[in-house]
Amino acid sequence: METIGADIVIQILKEEGVNAIFGYPGANTLPVHDRLVGSDIRHYLMRHEQAAAHASDGYARATGKVGVCIATSGPGATNLVTGIATAFMDSTPMVALTAQVSTGLLGQDAFQETDIIGITLPITKHSYQVHDVNNLAATLRQAFELATTGRPGPVLVDLPRDILSAKCRPAEKKSAPALKTNYKTEEDRDQLEKIAKTLNQSERPILIIGGGVKLCNAFQLVRELIEKAKIPFVTTMMGIGSVDSVNGYNLGLIGTHGNELANRMVHQCDFILAVGTRFSDRSTALIEEFAPLAKIAQIDIDPTSIGKSVKINLPYVGDIRDALAALLPLIDAKEKSEWLQRIQSERDAINGKVADTGCGPAGDFIHMLQEAMPRETTVTADVGLNQIWTVRTWQARSPRSLITSGGMGTMGFSLPAAIGAKVGTPERAVIAITGDGGFYMNIQELATISYYNLPIKIVVINNGHLGMIRQLQDLFYGARFNTIALGDKVDFVAVAKGFGIPGGTVVVDKDPGTGIAAMVKADGPYLLEAIVDPENYVYPIIPPGCSNAEMMYDRLD
Amino acid sequence: MLRKTREQEQTISILVNNQPGVLSRVGGVFGRHGYNIKSLCVAETTNPEVSRITLTSESDPDFTDKIKKQLEKLVDVLDVSYLSGQSYVQRELMLIGVTVKEGAYSDVLRVIERFGCRIVTMTPDYLVLEVTGQQDETAAVLKIFQSFGVEEINRTGSIAVERVKPQRKI
Repeated sequence: METIGADIVIQILKEEGVNAIFGYPGANTLPVHDRLVGSDIRHYLMRHEQAAAHASDGYARATGKVGVCIATSGPGATNLVTGIATAFMDSTPMVALTAQVSTGLLGQDAFQETDIIGITLPITKHSYQVHDVNNLAATLRQAFELATTGRPGPVLVDLPRDILSAKCRPAEKKSAPALKTNYKTEEDRDQLEKIAKTLNQSERPILIIGGGVKLCNAFQLVRELIEKAKIPFVTTMMGIGSVDSVNGYNLGLIGTHGNELANRMVHQCDFILAVGTRFSDRSTALIEEFAPLAKIAQIDIDPTSIGKSVKINLPYVGDIRDALAALLPLIDAKEKSEWLQRIQSERDAINGKVADTGCGPAGDFIHMLQEAMPRETTVTADVGLNQIWTVRTWQARSPRSLITSGGMGTMGFSLPAAIGAKVGTPERAVIAITGDGGFYMNIQELATISYYNLPIKIVVINNGHLGMIRQLQDLFYGARFNTIALGDKVDFVAVAKGFGIPGGTVVVDKDPGTGIAAMVKADGPYLLEAIVDPENYVYPIIPPGCSNAEMMYDRLD
Repeated sequence: MLRKTREQEQTISILVNNQPGVLSRVGGVFGRHGYNIKSLCVAETTNPEVSRITLTSESDPDFTDKIKKQLEKLVDVLDVSYLSGQSYVQRELMLIGVTVKEGAYSDVLRVIERFGCRIVTMTPDYLVLEVTGQQDETAAVLKIFQSFGVEEINRTGSIAVERVKPQRKI
């Protein structure tokens, strides 16, 4: 067979170490899908392109490698958009390949033509439309390079059909990339010394661990820092699991749905070392009152993430690993401090105040799930109450074991992301937790799971409502419930059965253990519906427009 | 949040890859952060692979740091410099169409001579004039002609080059 553009695509994917991609074919992707035959790249046919993007995202988050998805032009490409935006907000390294109409038809409103470059401009790190088959290899290599370097993110490559079919020579061997690196790499020693000095002199320091720690595999260094400086830490939602959650220095999740201890101590601390976080509004709540007593040092590779919202006293732009490695020797080894004693007494006081985790029977249920699943389990959480219950309850013991859509808050993420996680890390058990609302949004992926017989455990926490919106209407809109009821007419177990997946139902506070055991014991995929009271909310919660110190435990009245 | 009023202006010179779609990436940065672009000029540099975008934007105290960082993040952006002070020579070209009422010709011609404008074309009651100068000069000329009656106006916005031989090779 003569070499064509599509062969170059396969060649570069292999060169980049890609062994699985998630996609959906169409007329314009045909050259690529044709040349996948006989290659050792597995193509997972999803049931919707959005799910293909989420699956490649889940794959990337579970493995730390680049996730690749492919869709055809027009609706295929536009269906990727939510998945690309989700990856963009959480800085997932992703390469999205979209087919495009032939270059001669561009701009003619041809069948299934859409300006996907234009549509995805604000949600990609960069994008390319290839106009010459001789540039294809270099462009794809650049896409992979860009997706992974600096602050990672999705890169889209739009591939016109005539380019994919154009005859060409196989790509030359990869030479050094000519791409500019648009971030600073030289070490700013003075600034690191200032950060170390301020940390050493502080009496009440706190470390904030963001998603960046996972993205650059800085776990070991962060752990060393915690242990040497005896510095307590909080995590953002994206940072959960970077350090074993049961580590004694962990104060929990900060922010609007965070743990009381984490929020209280951030409010009281005198120094914050923030690593790999952009201080999103979810983490800080009311900016003006965030950590009012603290000097803040921030380490991030993305200059635009520094001081975006919170004022930073000691900014440092650079790779987290390099920065921490240089910082560690400058940090004084500390003994247990008054600060840690104060934290312990706060911890005891809070534990005495609320009997449970603030997640009610649903939280207890998730705890039971984790106890029943193997230790090496990856959990994907959807968005809404189920997400908060999961991230607050599930003790993430390894860095990539908890996957959720943090920045974008994309409902329907957890099921396809679990597919990607399972494909990427087949040795680990994978459990997808979702609410009934999010489950409906990508319910068609049951077919993918069943077709490939992926042994994913699916837990649908069913309260018959859009639970988090219900809580907000209940607390802040005078309990005028509207447009949140999903009803109880759908038999999820029968639905799963229809897709070829066995299942069962439990009620979370009525001895769910037997049902959980049946799920864990099942060899292949299994769906467990867990009925939960619609008034099982999550507490404490920070009301809109309030600071992290103003946590609510119940209705205002 | 309500859009803040931004009364200051800032002129920026941006070197970019000379490729399709780059202008929308650059423009998008301003739009997404709510800064209106007041004028814009794009042209090839001595290196045909590189274009220079010179633009004047609304600005506020956050602008300098925020927009520069965002622009520098774009893959196709090679350099961003803020034009201020005496290190740059700035000019603008303006074309204005002026109605000349009966009896006003001599007054109009006097102003043209005084400000060094060039007459591009003329009919008995209408003149098209070419005006160049720094932005405050062209603005002043415009104001004077407005008292005669300006029918049409088009201006390039600021363009600029460094006053001394540039250090940077494009």
